[in-house]
Amino acid sequence: MLVAGADALLVLRQVRTSDAQVRDLYLRRSRALDQVRSGIYQSAIVMRDYLLAVDPGIADAQVENWTNIRQRTDAAMAECAAALDPAEATPFRTLQAEVNVYWKLLELISEMQGKDKRNRGAAYLSSDLVRRRTAMLALVDRIDQISTRELNSGDAKLNVTFDRLRLRLSVMLGATLGAGLLLATFTIRRTLHLENELQRRYEEGVRAHQELKELSARLVSAQEEERRVISRELHDEIGQSLSALLMEAGNAAASVPQDSAEVRRHVESIKKLAEASVNVIRNMTLLLRPSMLDDFGLVPALEWQAREVSKRTGLRVHVAAEESASELPDEHKTCIYRVVQEALHNCARHSHARSVKVVVQQGPSKILLSVEDDGRGFDARRVRGLGLVGMEERVNHLGGAFEVQSRPGAGTRVAVELPLAS
Amino acid sequence: MCAIRILLADDHTVMRSGLRLLLERQPNLEVVGEAADGREAVELAEEKKPDVVVMDIAMPRLNGVEAARQIVSRSPQTAVAILSMHSDESYVIRSLKAGARAYLLKDSAEADLIAAIHAITEGKSFFSPAVRRILKEDFVHHLNEVGAEDSYELLTKREREVLQLVAEGKSNKEVASLLNLSLYTVETHRTHILQKLNLHSVPELILYAVRKGIIS
Repeated sequence: MLVAGADALLVLRQVRTSDAQVRDLYLRRSRALDQVRSGIYQSAIVMRDYLLAVDPGIADAQVENWTNIRQRTDAAMAECAAALDPAEATPFRTLQAEVNVYWKLLELISEMQGKDKRNRGAAYLSSDLVRRRTAMLALVDRIDQISTRELNSGDAKLNVTFDRLRLRLSVMLGATLGAGLLLATFTIRRTLHLENELQRRYEEGVRAHQELKELSARLVSAQEEERRVISRELHDEIGQSLSALLMEAGNAAASVPQDSAEVRRHVESIKKLAEASVNVIRNMTLLLRPSMLDDFGLVPALEWQAREVSKRTGLRVHVAAEESASELPDEHKTCIYRVVQEALHNCARHSHARSVKVVVQQGPSKILLSVEDDGRGFDARRVRGLGLVGMEERVNHLGGAFEVQSRPGAGTRVAVELPLAS
Repeated sequence: MCAIRILLADDHTVMRSGLRLLLERQPNLEVVGEAADGREAVELAEEKKPDVVVMDIAMPRLNGVEAARQIVSRSPQTAVAILSMHSDESYVIRSLKAGARAYLLKDSAEADLIAAIHAITEGKSFFSPAVRRILKEDFVHHLNEVGAEDSYELLTKREREVLQLVAEGKSNKEVASLLNLSLYTVETHRTHILQKLNLHSVPELILYAVRKGIIS
């Protein structure tokens, strides 16, 4: 567009300049020709006066006058030659020749004296001079005509140029429009493509995030299930076998004769080992997944957890839970149990708290949990450990809300709200 | 004297045979049946009417706590002794509430089972020393942590006597005759005891007594 505009301006200026030039030349030529024409007329008049003059003084003055006119006319001729159009060259050359002959003739007349002057002069004047003058004037008119024609042709040329410019502008405009359309189409297609790409990426991202969440939830439930299985297996198989072993050892000891102290000692040591192993198994199974969670539900498990933490760390843990909270879906009670476990773990490790309160309240459509300590707190907006993320993940998976409220020096409160499927 | 008739309920065959061996070495104990799960235990108890059922908690089909509840309600003359690996009070209190009279840990079965069987056939309660220790420690710990005082001090001398006899499994009537009181007075004492100790049932009262070391 800019190029087209600049081009059009340039062409316009060129056109204007050339038009002005053409007009200028025409004017100069026209003026010169007028001068030539008047010079020719005046020359004839002056010469006639010269011929008619009786007084030699007046005659000389007329010759003088003519010389001036001749000079002026020659100057006009030169001017005209300078402003000449090529088409006028031939008639102008003829004119020049005619003018020269005219001057010769007039010279001749001006040199006539006395009688000769009166007789021949009048003849010259009436025959040759007038004829030549007429021919010359015709030539001047012709040149003038040519000049006018040239001017008109200049106008025509100008028109052609303008037409060409218009065409050029139209073409340019068309081309620009076409290019613009093309560019717009390309841009739109590109934008749409990018938008689609973005949308695709976004959906991919969302899907990946979703998959990750599902995976993480599956991982958590798989881990939970595995813990449950291992815990049961340890308890029911190994624990029971060890208990049976213990009993059999007792039976063996009872059958050993009183005097075999050696055997008795061995049996006693077997019993001790088995007893120790039973204790280890018992603790392991509880730590993996407390059996009361599956046997009796949430509240006994929470109470056991509270006692354990109290015994282990000296933290005072108080559980306020309605017994009905025990009758929760497995996923919910596991979630709450693990959140409490993690929260108590955090309290014991980081909070420097002296007491913690665990509250479980069950409504008709949701269950509320809070774990609140009187510890030193932290900046909940900035600190986000993996434990908190894990708790949140568990809660979110069940469609619940998870919140940590804490400020340095103001304790920490973990609050969970889980919706219950009706 | 008639032999005490015993039903064994445990899903582990080795355990059952070990127990049978242990019990049958005693002159006055007789194993009259073996059940491999809770439901079978309930059925056999109804059929054989044993004096004592020795039962595990973790069993398929029906767990020991539920089985104890059903056995006690269907055959009140049968006393249930729980023999479990679980030492947590949630198991002990639930077993007691279900009607069990003894709670033993499996690792001390060999040492305590005979004594427990004799105790419960006399109407008393029995707990493995390990269980008593755990319950007591938890209780003391709890009292210390919560900073509460032991309300035992609030009880009168008479109330303490009633508490002990009730915890040992005596009926109100037996307590009344033992202490030479009227039935009404015993009932009033019992109500006061439960109120003062903030307890709600006889099993809770028994648990309390165990924790305090009032009974063994």
